[in-house]
Amino acid sequence: MKRNVCVVGVGLSDGPVTPDMSATMLEAQSFRRALDDAGLETSDIEGLASAGYGGMHEVQLAEYLGLTPHWLESTQCGGSSFEFHTMHAYRAIQNGDVDTIAIVYGNNQLSASGRTLGTGGGGGRGGMAMPLPMAYEFPTGLTLVGAYAMAAQRHMHQYGTTAEQLASISVQMREHAGRNPNAMYRDPLTVDDVMSSRLVADPLHKFDCCVISDGGCAIILTTEEKARDLAHKPVFVRGAAGGMTHHSIQGMADMTTTAAAVTGPKAFAEAGITPGDVDMFAMYDSFTYTVLVVLEDLGFAPKGDGGAFVADGNLRLGGALPTNTDGGGLSATHPGMRGLFLLCEATRQLRGEAGAGQVSGAEIAVASGSGGWLSTHGTVVLGTEAV
Amino acid sequence: MNMSSSWDGETPKYLIPNPTPEDREYWTGARRGELRIQRCTTCGLHQHYARMLCSHCGKATVEWVTASGRGVVYSYTVVRQNGVPPFNERVPFVVAAVDLAEEGARVLAAMPGVEPDAVQIGMDVRATFRPASDDFGFVDFAPA
Repeated sequence: MKRNVCVVGVGLSDGPVTPDMSATMLEAQSFRRALDDAGLETSDIEGLASAGYGGMHEVQLAEYLGLTPHWLESTQCGGSSFEFHTMHAYRAIQNGDVDTIAIVYGNNQLSASGRTLGTGGGGGRGGMAMPLPMAYEFPTGLTLVGAYAMAAQRHMHQYGTTAEQLASISVQMREHAGRNPNAMYRDPLTVDDVMSSRLVADPLHKFDCCVISDGGCAIILTTEEKARDLAHKPVFVRGAAGGMTHHSIQGMADMTTTAAAVTGPKAFAEAGITPGDVDMFAMYDSFTYTVLVVLEDLGFAPKGDGGAFVADGNLRLGGALPTNTDGGGLSATHPGMRGLFLLCEATRQLRGEAGAGQVSGAEIAVASGSGGWLSTHGTVVLGTEAV
Repeated sequence: MNMSSSWDGETPKYLIPNPTPEDREYWTGARRGELRIQRCTTCGLHQHYARMLCSHCGKATVEWVTASGRGVVYSYTVVRQNGVPPFNERVPFVVAAVDLAEEGARVLAAMPGVEPDAVQIGMDVRATFRPASDDFGFVDFAPA
């Protein structure tokens, strides 16, 4: 029989600006805080998942943390890596391979690299061979922001979505950030503010793009049986699915549909829920368009109606789909990859620990990770009860 | 404003194509003024960029063909911020995803010198070519 799996610990590092911390220090700090949150020690951790920007990242981290795990996971599929890690950890614990797993991420993106992530051009300076699609895209001058912008432009063309509707997503995330003392930007933002911020790549303005911050996050999963003895009311993993449609943006045959159209229904079916059951949505808001296209793909609004859905204020606390109650990547924190922070915020909501951003009586939360150039998608359904 | 000038200068070393054995034909074709893509002799479909296997049917039966260069803009953006030279001097510029009209494959390319306001999704475009070095070239697109 499959075992129930719970999130029992979450930890956030200091942030969002930590010039005196390395990426590994941010990982270690968030890991320690997740252990303390759960009431566990390093000796309890049997499995480790992490994703960084180099090979053997999780092995390096395990040694640093003094761990000798017998379950390792290092899927690196961009920002959604951590939804994939959660899915794989869930299966491994479900099936009895391992009991207790930590998923850890940290990056000093802002302090180490400045704000170059979205507009620094592709990788591969210096004439080294690039992965094939990048070798074709880099010489065009397309940026990371530009790739998302191109997809947004197609959605606008096909469905009449407007730049103001996209801007309303940033406005609502900023409202939530105003309640989060650790958010990078907290001052209220209006649609006009977004529209009058400079265009980075049409139709995306500066405030359609996530912040670049430092930060770390860790979560700990274990069996329902072990969870009973721990510090907090367990949060159950009810379903998970991951997939991809393409690598670089030129491979995205339909720029108005992501892999979430497949992973969402699959994870929701496993979790025994429909979109209407979701009390809180932790969505990877790398760009406003990412939120719009994925919420359609997950069935929160019909395809093409996402613009009207977000402009109606449905992402607000108190709206139909309270989204990124911590302020999200658009206003709170985005240290290179954000997928793990989604799982942390969703867990805090289901525990009733989200403070001023709490969704009253939240029982089902969805963490929805997006990676690359809208390339990969992971959906994880969490709940206060097992399926 | 002459928006094409900064595209015509010498290509910085890190932008000169560094072909793999399988895609050299694309870059040398662009230098000759030909848009070279692959066609699968099993399923008849085309692909860009070059691969060992057909990305549609998986068979190892791809051959090089010269595309007409006629295409339709599927989507585009205007890049207004890019910190990497020489793109920092070229902004703003248009990059488009173009569906080749006859072959169906999609090509991502810059549209040097084209005013942002002159580009629309669905517009007809044609491939143009720009030298990258003595051996290799870039494929761009321009209004048809």
